[in-house]
Amino acid sequence: MNPSVKQWIDRLWGSVRLASDAVADLRPPTLSRQLQHEQVLRPVRPGFIWATLVVAFLLNLLPWGRAIWVPDFFAVTLVFWNVQQPRKVGMGIAFVFGLLMDVHNGALFGEHALAYTLLSYGAITLHRRILWFPLSSQLVYVFGLLLIAQLASAAVRLWVGGASTGWWVGLLSSALGAAIWPLLHSVLLAPQRRPAKRDDTRPI
Amino acid sequence: MEYGPPPLFNQGVSARARLAFFSLAAAILIVIDAQVNALDVIRNGVEILLYPFQRVLLWPRDVVADFGGYIASIGDLNEENAQLRKAAVEQAQRAQMAGQLLLENEQLRKLAGLRERITPPSQLVTALYESRDPFSHKIVIDRGSKDGIRAGGPVIDEVGVVGQVTRVFPMTAEVTLLTDKEQSLPVQIARNGLRAIAFGGSEPITLELRFLPSNADVQSGDRVVTSGLDGMYPADLPVGIVTRIDRDVKDQFARIILKPVAGMSKSRLLLVLLVDPPPLAPATTGRESAPNANRSERGANKAARR
Repeated sequence: MNPSVKQWIDRLWGSVRLASDAVADLRPPTLSRQLQHEQVLRPVRPGFIWATLVVAFLLNLLPWGRAIWVPDFFAVTLVFWNVQQPRKVGMGIAFVFGLLMDVHNGALFGEHALAYTLLSYGAITLHRRILWFPLSSQLVYVFGLLLIAQLASAAVRLWVGGASTGWWVGLLSSALGAAIWPLLHSVLLAPQRRPAKRDDTRPI
Repeated sequence: MEYGPPPLFNQGVSARARLAFFSLAAAILIVIDAQVNALDVIRNGVEILLYPFQRVLLWPRDVVADFGGYIASIGDLNEENAQLRKAAVEQAQRAQMAGQLLLENEQLRKLAGLRERITPPSQLVTALYESRDPFSHKIVIDRGSKDGIRAGGPVIDEVGVVGQVTRVFPMTAEVTLLTDKEQSLPVQIARNGLRAIAFGGSEPITLELRFLPSNADVQSGDRVVTSGLDGMYPADLPVGIVTRIDRDVKDQFARIILKPVAGMSKSRLLLVLLVDPPPLAPATTGRESAPNANRSERGANKAARR
């Protein structure tokens, strides 16, 4: 890659990280924060990852009509698995699902693919950093990532089709997408949080 | 894999290289798709793959709508019934008159030696869902190329023009609404026959008449109908009503905003007119050449220059 481009990307990411850290670091470290990663998670099943990605994609296929503020469920789920399992869910999956999304929405072929690829790259690069923060602060990162992906998609549209007013309402969907992050976190990690062995003698 | 030795050095292709590869692939696809329709085969394949899921996922919405309709109060239904009955009587009268007029018109046309007007065959379709794209106004209908629908066909509802079929899949088709920024159609003002081209407006749910001089005879409240000059849209279909006219002295053209008449009802039933696409216009044709399906802004400008 061209060194200047690389430098530029580095600088961009650097500023994103700094800004996100500054917001996320407002809370002082607490005991709960240190205890958060105490529980050892069970290994994730690849089938479960795939199933959740497909379900999230199907949620996107629901006829939402012109309610463009509805969060992009697939994007949030993709970020989640990119952060949790960056070696299992990569940009290839993001790209392919992006193409499917393009066909469904009648958008330009490759528009969502580009957005999801960028999103996936961002999540994979930041995954160690994001996991270190408490859940409430992770929202900031997720919001930033979703926003970058949406702006990329918007930039493509502006470049090809010209400006149209009111498109920024769609940016609300990034905020709502970040808002469902805690819910997603608890639901998608639940299978890994089960105890390894069921204790049959326990009363409850 | 989870319990194997950690791959300290072998991480596969680096994330940046992957980013570069996939972004480049996406960019190439975008450019190809924006310029030519070469990717339609892939698109068709993917659409066939997605179709069953799309249909199944429409079911919850339809159930909710049906349930909502079921618990609609008797008062509403009675009111609606009364209105429909009134409308039916009015329409019966009008239909009788129309029948007479049609006969008379045919005779007169024969007398005058004019070509008889042909009503194009049509196909009743249901709108499945609206595209969730904030940039374009598209709906997807439940009939496709297997039902004889072709790209370019005008789509109307019970009051006027809704849009145009711009992309056809085997089972479904995409209709671009008139309010889409990249859509245009030739129109005339019903009051005085002044011809113009209506484009999708820059404000949501509006149309714009472009290239009319600032002293053009247009008034607020004028009905705008299709002119039928393109050979695609039949003439005299209602399109919109002029709501605002900005005549700027500095500007050569007036800025005329229309409110579309169609697409306001809750009914999802539409009619696609199965017209034959007109033969390619010769290069000498003026501005009102046929608006091709799915043409971009650049294409429109090109056509305007021709």
